[in-house]
Order: sequence, then structure tokens, then C-alpha cells
Amino acid sequence: MAGAQASETSDDDAGPFTRWVQKSIRNPDRTYRAMFYVVTIFFLITTLFPFYWLLVLALTPTDLVDQAGLLPAGFNPEAFITIFEQLPFHVYLFNSFVIALGTTAVVLVLASLVGYVFGRLEFPGRGILMILVLAISYFPPAAFLLPLFRLFTGNVEILGLSSPFVFNSPIGIGLPLSALFMPLSIFILTTFYGQIPDGLEDAARVEGTTRLGALVRVIIPLSAPGVATAGVLTFINVYSEFFFSYLMTDGQAQNWGPLVWGILGYQTQYAASYNLMAAASIIGVLPVAILVVIAQERIVSGLTSGALKE
Amino acid sequence: MANVTLEGVTKRYDDVVAVDDMNLEIPDGEFVTLVGPSGCGKSTTMETVAGLTMPTEGTISIGDREVTDLPPKDRGIAMVFQNIALFPHMDVYDNISFGLRLRNFDEDETDRRVENAAEIVQMQGMLDRMPSEMSGGQRQRVAIARALVREPDVFLMDEPLANLDAKLRVHMRTELQRIHRELDTTVIYVTHDQAEAMTMSDRIAVIDGGRLQQIDPPLVCYNEPDNLFVAGFIGSPSMNFVEGTVSSDGFDSEYVDVAFDAGPMALGEGDAVTLGIRPEDIYPAGEAGSVSHSTAEIETTVDVLEPMGDEIFVYLLLAEDAESDLEDPEAGDQLQMSVDPASDIEAGDSVSVVFDREKLHLFDTDSGQALEHGLVQPTQAEGTTGTGAETDD
Repeated sequence: MAGAQASETSDDDAGPFTRWVQKSIRNPDRTYRAMFYVVTIFFLITTLFPFYWLLVLALTPTDLVDQAGLLPAGFNPEAFITIFEQLPFHVYLFNSFVIALGTTAVVLVLASLVGYVFGRLEFPGRGILMILVLAISYFPPAAFLLPLFRLFTGNVEILGLSSPFVFNSPIGIGLPLSALFMPLSIFILTTFYGQIPDGLEDAARVEGTTRLGALVRVIIPLSAPGVATAGVLTFINVYSEFFFSYLMTDGQAQNWGPLVWGILGYQTQYAASYNLMAAASIIGVLPVAILVVIAQERIVSGLTSGALKE
Repeated sequence: MANVTLEGVTKRYDDVVAVDDMNLEIPDGEFVTLVGPSGCGKSTTMETVAGLTMPTEGTISIGDREVTDLPPKDRGIAMVFQNIALFPHMDVYDNISFGLRLRNFDEDETDRRVENAAEIVQMQGMLDRMPSEMSGGQRQRVAIARALVREPDVFLMDEPLANLDAKLRVHMRTELQRIHRELDTTVIYVTHDQAEAMTMSDRIAVIDGGRLQQIDPPLVCYNEPDNLFVAGFIGSPSMNFVEGTVSSDGFDSEYVDVAFDAGPMALGEGDAVTLGIRPEDIYPAGEAGSVSHSTAEIETTVDVLEPMGDEIFVYLLLAEDAESDLEDPEAGDQLQMSVDPASDIEAGDSVSVVFDREKLHLFDTDSGQALEHGLVQPTQAEGTTGTGAETDD
């Protein structure tokens, strides 16, 4: 009886869910598409909700901040202007920008040279050196903070000379961050430079370039997606870095205090202006968001082609 | 324009010797082809001339300068690569003018030279194309133009036609010869294709195992090979070899005997020698009228026919019970013969063949060195064959 009924079950007398399942079995593409949407929506919510929450906080006046829910309690867009009145927030933004750009430039130049050597030359010890470079990137930054701090504040004597005082300067932040983020760029660029056919480099050298000239004129232009990926990732990493950015300056805008100091500056001894901090955070994120939107195609192609090669 | 001299050039990688004591003297304006099987060291030899590989030992001179330690850019050379190696991010004009721009030529001069080079390779009007928009032959022309434009002392070409289809290859072969005639520059050309080597070169340098085997004009390499390797490598299909020994009245082997006077050749009885004969120098006994000195007839059985249109290659088995083994024509019990397409030979036929004595080659089996080209002095008792046929010359 039950069996007969089951065999006669048609789309008409089954529930909507049963019908959907039956259709999906006949047409698996439907299932995959549904799964794609579910997962995409999940990721969109988890990544975008914090930004929405920031916006809610930024728009809520300070005194109503404990009442903010999924919607802002009140509407106070003035916060976006107040942040520039209370602190020179644009200077903090500028500082972070300069530090991030400078670090990116240094990283790209050095990582290009290293990537060329690792990617295109065969020499004994190459593997060990690459692992060493990789190991550095896993170093906990806190482990060398204290010695670095002493070094950068002129408290270490090297051959009778005291170390240069680079605390409160872009170098104090940029130098350790270059070292920390260099390995990622080295690995990306090694992969890319290694893929350029030998013949092209030989041709460039026969035509009249040095090895370095061949790197600059042929290998780097042909590895543009890789260079863009390494550059953008380094820029974002440095721009949004907390640890050294917080500890290698005293936080004054004129002393190269970066973004993190700007945002935390709205928190005083007696009051924390959450709306201002939220507004500052949103403005701080904007340059990076714009950068990623512009460069996203290259980053995606850069990351995936690197992934396929390894 | 300049002559190129390699003296004792050796290149060693860890435990492999890629080039072994190479000595080459290439005069100004000569077209020399380095030819040999894959991995014989011909490309490495060229790379040492280009400066892309540093020789372990030896010196290289271009013109009057020793260039052994100079980087490629300072050697006055231009190179065309097997994989063409156009810069994919530059258009034709930028590719051709790359070397000129690096040397800060002024714009008018650059334009003039690029136009001129494009004309020589017949690529005018395509200067704004990107490499990806062109066919293989067009790319190869651009690569040649890029080499031409700098008016180098020496052209290096590393299998420039290897990646082209057969028809285009033949066409580009004549183009390259025309370009060489027009410019009269020294050309060093690397190929594994002996047809290219034969047709284009003033001289062929045959290389095997990193060693120079012979350097001579193509027909000399063909008619008077210095050793077994050159004899087997030059010519297609390759030369037949029969291993045997020296007997009192000439060459003696299991199936083939050839009478000659071994006296003047400083050969002793019992010395191991190899007889070489090209397929086109073997004739069916009845059709050897044009041959002034032929050997005694040799009984064979036709194994396989390969009609090529203008000729037929016939695989002959010498022994009754011989296994046909087309993979190894040097097996000693088979011969390859080239006959007129009008011939009515069929597989399974018994055929008597004779060799043209003027085209016989005798090699020392152990050292591979050539002993004699042409065995025309018949002794009184003309040779006998293993199968018993005996005729007078």
C-alpha cells in the first residue's frame, strides 16, 4: 500500500519542500546554485554587518549610544565632521598613507630582487633560504618589540655609535613592517618571476640589458598582476596594522601618529565617543576599500595564478 | 662583421660535460651551422658565444676582441631564439627597436632602421601589431628583424625554424639565405635538422657528445665523412653500415664481401672495419649501367617498400632468416636502398644488388675514424659474396 502510494506520488500532492527536493534531484544545477547563494549571503552578512554596525554607531548621538539597536537611535551625521574638528584626523590619515606607501615601495623593490633570485636562478641553499624567509614571517612581532624599541630610541650602542633615533618617524613603523610583510611579497613575486620563460630574459640580455634591466623592462611588466597583488596586500597590511603603528610613535599627529592613534584619540580619560570612533573608522577604511575595488581584478588573478602554480 | 674564434671551450655542469674542448674558427661573413642530435652541446656552444652561458674553460673571440667574460650586451651579437621570444607586452615596433632604444639611438635613426629591417623581413605595415595577434611565421620574422636592426657583427640563430610548420620552415629557409646574402654577416646557426644544415650553410659543424666531429662544407660532410657518426648523421635516410673485418683480399663480413687492396691503407688482416654505403649508391644488379665500378652482386630479399613519390626506399634483408627491424637499420643484416619510382620491385622479391665502389666508405670500427672514401682499385680476384654470386667487374 505504502509502496504503491510512493510510486504514485506526483508533484501535485507532495508538499512544496518535497517538490523542491525532487526537482533538485532531477536537476542538480539547481542545488548547486542554491548552495552558492546560501554561502554567498552568509559571507556577505558576516563581512558587511560590522560595517553596517559601525555606520549605526556613527549616526547615533553619543548620549543615546546605549539605545542603538539594529537601527541607529537618532540621526547625527555631524560625527563625520566633528572627527576632523576635535583632532587633525586628516593628518593621521595622511601619516598612515605615507607610511603604507613607503613601506610598499621598499617591499616591492627588495622583494622583486629576491623574487628574481629565488624564481630564476639555481643555486645551492636556495630551498633553505626560502624556508628561512618564510620562518621570519611567522615570527611573533611582540618578541622583538623591546629590543627594537631600544634600538629605535637611540639606546643601543653599535661600535661606539648610538643607534639613530627613529621613534616618532615613518621609519620606526615602516622598517619592522617591511621586514614582517616582505616574505609574503617575496613568495608571490618568486612564483610570478619564475613563470616568465627563460628565452625572454635571454632575448632582453642579448638585446642589450643587464640582468637587472631585463627584470625591470621585461619580467616585471609581464608579472604585473603579481606585482599589483603583492603591492596591494602589503599596502593594506601596513595601513591597517596595529601593533607597531601603536607602539613606535607617541601618537601625536605631528609625530607621524598613524590612523590607529587617530581613532583611539576620541577616547579620553573621562569619555569614550563611540560615535566619533565609528565615524573615524569608516573614513579610515574608505581608501582601502576604494583601492581594493580598483585593483580587485588584478588581485584575484594574481592570487589564483600563484595558487595554481605552487 | 667579424670572425668568431672558439679556443678550447669546455662547459661542465656538475658531472656532465656539455661542451668538450671545442675549437672553431669561423671567418667573417660565413654561414656556419652547428648540427647534431638533441643534447649534443650545440646549443650550449652557441650560448657561450652569446654570453648567456659562461664556459668553464677556453676563450671566445669575436673580431679582434676576446669576449669570454663580457656580458651578452657588449659582444656585438644578435640572436634569434627557438621559442621566438618576442616581448609579449610590446608591439612589433617596440620589439624591433628594443635594442636601439636601450642604446639611445635618436628617433629618426631608430625609425629608419626599423623600417629597413621590417622591409627585409617583409613585415612593413604591421609595426603596430601585438605579438599575440600574429601567426608563428610573422612572429619569427619580427624576431629576425629585431636581430637585424642592430646591425650586429654576428648573428646567432638557435633553431629559429623548429617551431614552424613544415611548409613555412622551407619558406623561411630561403628567406634566411636571402637575408644572409644581402647582409653578408657572420651567421652561426644551430639546428638538429640536417636538411636545414645541408641547404643553408657554407660549412657544417657536426657535433656529438659535446665534441666537434667534423667541420666542412655540406657536400664534403656528405661525401667524405670523417667518422662513423658524421656518416650516419648527415643524409636521410642514413648511410648503411656493415661491420666486418679486413681479409687478405679486402672486406669480409657475414653477408657482404668487397674486394680491395688493403695494402696501402696500413690495415692488417683481421682488423675490425665498418663498410658504409648510402641508400642511393646501391643499385639492383640490372640497373647499375651508369656505375663505372660496381661490386659483386649481393643476394637480398625485399622486406618493405616505402614509396616517397620521387623515389622508393627499399628495405633489403641480407640473410634468409633475418628479422625485419626498421627501427635499427644498422643491425648489419639489412640494407636500405633507394630506387627509381618506376621500378617494379615488390615486397618478398629476391633481388641482387651491387654497390657503387666510388661511393663506398671504410671506417675503423673501434675508433670510428674514416679510413678510405671510395674503394675503386679492384684486385685481380673480384670480391665474392656470402650468398655465392660471383661476377667479374
